[in-house]
Amino acid sequence: MTWLGRLFRRDRVERQLDAELRDHLERLTDDYRRSGLSEREARRRARLEFGGLEQVKEVCRDVRGTRWLDEIGQDLRYGFRLLRQSPAFTLVAVASLALGIGANSAIFALVDSVLLKSLPVRDPHRLILLDDGSWTNPIWEQVRARQLEISDGAAAWNDVRFDLARAGATEFVEGLWTSGSFFDVLGVPAVLGRTFTVADDNRGGGPDGPVAVISYAFWQRRFGGEASVIGQTLTLDRTPFTIVGVTPPSFLGPSQGRSFDVAVPLGTQAIVRGPGHWLDDRSTWVLEIMARLKPGQTVELATSALRSVQPQIREATLPDGWPQPMLDQYLKEGLTFVGAAAGPSGFRTRYQQPLWIIMAVVAIVLLIACANIANLMLARAATRRHELTLRLALGASRFRIARQLLVESLLLASLGGVLGLLFARWGSWIIVRQLSTPRSTVVLDLTLDWRVVGFTALVAVVTALLFGVAPALRMRRVDPNDALKEQGRTFAGEGRHSIGTWLLGAQVALTLVLVVGAGLFVRTFGKLATLDIGLDKDAVLVVDVDLSQTSVDPEARHALYERVRAAAAAVPGVAGAGLSLITPVSGAGWNGPVELKDRPEVPTRERMTFLNSATPGWFATYGSRLRAGRDFDARDVDGAPAVAVANQTFIRRYVKGEPLGQIVRFERGPEGVQPVQIVGVVQDAAYRSVRDPIPPVLYLPLLQAHTKGPGRLNLSVRAASGSPVLLTRSVAAAISQVDPDLSLTFRPLAAFVDGALVRERLLAMLSGFFGGLALLLAGIGLYGMTSYSVNRRRAEIGIRMALGAHSSSVVALMFRRIAWPVGFGLVIGAALSYWASRYVTTLLYNLDARDPATFIGAAVFLCAVSAVAAWLPARRAARIDPARVLREA
Amino acid sequence: MTTPKSDLPQGTLDLLILKIVALGPLHGYAIAQRLQQISRDVVQVPQGSLYPALHRLENRSLLVAEWKLSDTGRDAKFYRLTRKGRAFMQEETNSWHRLTAAVGLILDAAEGEAS
Repeated sequence: MTWLGRLFRRDRVERQLDAELRDHLERLTDDYRRSGLSEREARRRARLEFGGLEQVKEVCRDVRGTRWLDEIGQDLRYGFRLLRQSPAFTLVAVASLALGIGANSAIFALVDSVLLKSLPVRDPHRLILLDDGSWTNPIWEQVRARQLEISDGAAAWNDVRFDLARAGATEFVEGLWTSGSFFDVLGVPAVLGRTFTVADDNRGGGPDGPVAVISYAFWQRRFGGEASVIGQTLTLDRTPFTIVGVTPPSFLGPSQGRSFDVAVPLGTQAIVRGPGHWLDDRSTWVLEIMARLKPGQTVELATSALRSVQPQIREATLPDGWPQPMLDQYLKEGLTFVGAAAGPSGFRTRYQQPLWIIMAVVAIVLLIACANIANLMLARAATRRHELTLRLALGASRFRIARQLLVESLLLASLGGVLGLLFARWGSWIIVRQLSTPRSTVVLDLTLDWRVVGFTALVAVVTALLFGVAPALRMRRVDPNDALKEQGRTFAGEGRHSIGTWLLGAQVALTLVLVVGAGLFVRTFGKLATLDIGLDKDAVLVVDVDLSQTSVDPEARHALYERVRAAAAAVPGVAGAGLSLITPVSGAGWNGPVELKDRPEVPTRERMTFLNSATPGWFATYGSRLRAGRDFDARDVDGAPAVAVANQTFIRRYVKGEPLGQIVRFERGPEGVQPVQIVGVVQDAAYRSVRDPIPPVLYLPLLQAHTKGPGRLNLSVRAASGSPVLLTRSVAAAISQVDPDLSLTFRPLAAFVDGALVRERLLAMLSGFFGGLALLLAGIGLYGMTSYSVNRRRAEIGIRMALGAHSSSVVALMFRRIAWPVGFGLVIGAALSYWASRYVTTLLYNLDARDPATFIGAAVFLCAVSAVAAWLPARRAARIDPARVLREA
Repeated sequence: MTTPKSDLPQGTLDLLILKIVALGPLHGYAIAQRLQQISRDVVQVPQGSLYPALHRLENRSLLVAEWKLSDTGRDAKFYRLTRKGRAFMQEETNSWHRLTAAVGLILDAAEGEAS
């Protein structure tokens, strides 16, 4: 029988062992009987000679090699019984472990996906990226021509949003412009159909015309996973594309945090965008360029290969209209490759630090939970001491008993781990949903893979060791004799320096760190969220109006925009509407240097102003009040004197004396210096981002700023009351009546503001949640400790009260019990927070990471929680009836 | 019980059991009897060592066991040598002979020097 067979047929093996030994005994008896002894004597002699049947069996079982497993089985069954016997303990322990382990797994899944995982492509470690930033298509074409001199092939791509709609309101999908070599260089095969060939990338489409490769998720979502999708037509920005292939489910796209739905060759841009394409544009910096190392080639060798052809690449792609110094710089600057196994990701750069911080936070929460459970286990071990010492006295080895305690810990941790995994799946999904903004949907591969499961298992085991080792170690100090004599009346975990007190102190210290962190992040978010940005963010709906799909003549664009604006303004419930080139806090910007006549020596960088162009009524739409002068009006058209409205910061910084009527000059790219007369001063408002300090801004009348109407503008609509989102349908209908070919995208202004605060909100939310959880756990720990102490000292308290102690002095007695761990915990915690503050400085807004108010507030709050946690059981102690206690004794 | 008993050197019990079983399938009691008989009562194996040894050899697949009806009318567990057991026995026998020869040589030489 095999080892495994013996394990599973334990009963049979046991029966056979018994039969075999009994057979031997019978034969021995028979022999004695035959030698003439009486039946009784024969039996006696045989038994004597054979020795203890059970002892022989024990040794045989040892030999069998499954003994330790049998024993662990026993330990497990025993552990289960114990856990069932104390459901309250089990519930608290498993729930806090599930929360602690689950939080760790959830954040690990994010960290893994964003920071650690490589792209799911062939040999990701051979992928390199042209550093740093984006490149123009002419540069890419130069690199492409020399790709095999440099590496084993190169690819380029650019993120884009395509509109699937054939007309009217937009329906965006995440798109990629890719080079023809993209999928081959990355090593991503098609699960259906084919990927691109180099020929597909020809200007204006390859042999099969404009073709598209779609992602697995998009295939499932839009086409229900039908194989007939190959050959079907997909309309992207009003251009028909033929679907030729589907990528594998694991491939979400080249950049982490973003997923793609549709990829099309770069060359087809000539069809989609018509003359507006940037394929020959030497100043449109949008492409990422990636290459694959040759076998054995290092990143350095690839860089030097690139440097040797750099002069040709640079010479052939000189941007037009750049001043000479910048061109010199352009030629000189060395091109460099960097490793890119995980793909490039702005998302990763942005969330790296917050993710590590939250990872540390959840690890601390788990430590606090561990300390709690360790304390509970210690208290339990103390009450179980009699049972355990009895077993010791009966011959169980210390190792066996320590193992029993560890198995119980592992059992708890495994239960917590399994539940935690469920919690983690849900938790990481919630977090990813929180990360998405109106402008970019965040998609991460969070499938429950072996890495996350393995991490969870590891955390569970480490946790079990953390909280299980203390009670197990304690067993080493137990002397069976002493313990039996004491009849289980003694308890462990007393005194100032007991393990329990230290654990409690550590808990308080770690909790303080988390509460301070939560305080800093919540205050940062609060400051940003309530920041007066000078805009009525809850009243405005922003409509992106895109003319690129219409046939309108460039000369007629302004008129069309005006009709669109008037149509929107006429919709019931709309209080006003205005057009502008740039939407505030959308991240977009336009700037240029101001000419300072009296100070020409000031470098360009220090005399920049931001610019925007707007129609009359635009300020009112946003609720921005004019401080002086007038708004734009019907006079300010092309040909009339050039005017401008400046914000207060602009006036403060660049204008001396009475601003109204002054002429300011600013440089505007190739059009040169433009003089404008200030006719109004508007109150300061956020321009590009909520976080930035408000910059100087100069607003120009739309009709004067752009002689020909731009291809797209933002229409801002102010709701008379209620949420502006409710206006979406009626405004869309009104605008479509003007021209059904307009592409429209609707977003409330509040979404832009919230989108700018995603990182801060996430940090505040998570640190607040986990800080609260830590407080709760620490509170439970303190409550348990005091409660335990009250029970243990019932008799003593009774006697004290009988001798005249006042109930307040009893409460004070109990408070003194926790004063020490809370006190030293606060000191250590403050020191730890002070040290850890260096890691969060850059994530705070207008707040010192060592902000004394936050530190003191957190400490006071923690003290209050501790006091409540201790007061509840202490009150019980004060109500002890001395007479009853004395009778019981 | 006049014959003096000897303690078995470490590991030799296994070899003796294999040798006995090599002659034909036997149950535990018979193995103990044979050991005693062949060694003319010098070797007496307590049951506390015999059965663990049998189970250990079975565990290592040097022996296989089957339950068969025996002379007493009850089922008894009969041990039989496996091919692997036979090879192992050969090996161990050879090394035992080499060892005892060497030990004998040393003892004789030492005596010669002393005289």
